[in-house]
Amino acid sequence: MASVVIYSTPSCVYCRLAKQFFTEQGVKYIEHNVAEDYGKAEEMIKKTGQQGVPVIDIDGKVIVGFDKSAIKAALGLP
Amino acid sequence: MEEYDFLIIGAGSAGLPAAIYAARFKLKTLVIGEVPGGTITTTHVVENWPGVITATGWDLMETLMKHVKANEVEVLTDKVTAVEKKGEFRFLVKTAEGKEFAAKTVLFATGTARKKLGAPGEKEFENKGVSYCAVCDGALFKNKAVAVIGGSDSAAKEALFLSEHASKVYLIHRGDKIRPEPINGDRVKANKKIELVLNRNVAQIFGEKFVKGVKFKEGGELALDGVFIEIGATANSGLATKLGVKVDEKGEIIIDVESRTNVSGVYAAGDVANRHFKQAITGAAEGVVASFSAYEDINAAAAKKK
Repeated sequence: MASVVIYSTPSCVYCRLAKQFFTEQGVKYIEHNVAEDYGKAEEMIKKTGQQGVPVIDIDGKVIVGFDKSAIKAALGLP
Repeated sequence: MEEYDFLIIGAGSAGLPAAIYAARFKLKTLVIGEVPGGTITTTHVVENWPGVITATGWDLMETLMKHVKANEVEVLTDKVTAVEKKGEFRFLVKTAEGKEFAAKTVLFATGTARKKLGAPGEKEFENKGVSYCAVCDGALFKNKAVAVIGGSDSAAKEALFLSEHASKVYLIHRGDKIRPEPINGDRVKANKKIELVLNRNVAQIFGEKFVKGVKFKEGGELALDGVFIEIGATANSGLATKLGVKVDEKGEIIIDVESRTNVSGVYAAGDVANRHFKQAITGAAEGVVASFSAYEDINAAAAKKK
């Protein structure tokens, strides 16, 4: 089972799309609200060198934005 | 290949209302949009959609989406890459995910893309201090100094939103007056965190790993942690023009009051069309009128064949 972490903000549309996608695929994920959690915001910025959300970490593979094909590949989905 | 009566490109505040009406006209309808909800989901507060005193852009769109689903219309999240005319009231629509659909009529509710400043540093610092969406990124600038570049109502609203997070918000405009809705103009005036910087053009956005500030053409610079660019939009009319649809000098699709374009079977609605005063509600009206026009046109074409 892949370890999936998503860094998001409440108003981010693509973050919601990503979470909807995970739910549809039955993928469990941990969410960090970087609008509230400044420590996680810094962690996200360190991981990616940028501030755009969503940032998705799948078993250490870091994806910036709701890149469906990259996410599917990292999860081993067709 | 699936065949539809009415294919709506764009799942925003113009496309979704059109879908509701089309379904009720018993037109076989499909909505294909890149961003469910469209541009208005990037607005943190909508106070002028009649019937809704105040709501987030997202919540407004969720209610519209529910209404569309209640009328049993499918909404695909995908990007339309080509629309080809194969004959009178026969169109072929292709998507980025490799899907193809046939449709009798097509509605372009494709909205707009954010206008770029075209200044050095803008691209390099995108997501490193430069953003085109305050609602998306504003919370990451808590207690920082930011600027909104623009003089429109949208720019003023972004400044107001950012003032809830940032310690200081500069509203930089190249003109000598900003032009917000009067109610927002009052709010900007009363807001102690917002400072107007008028008659200034941003020449460069500079920084190291992240934005450090902007330089002005008129001389001088401003130290900043974030720059939000809100200088307008460009109509997403490329797919339509390839079909021979006429656009105006701004690239906006020209429609008549029944949302028809110069190409039969093709309609447009919302920000991509050439209305002067663009609002979510006006786009919605254009969308539903388009579905009625499609309904009329399909029936007329079928009657001719008999």
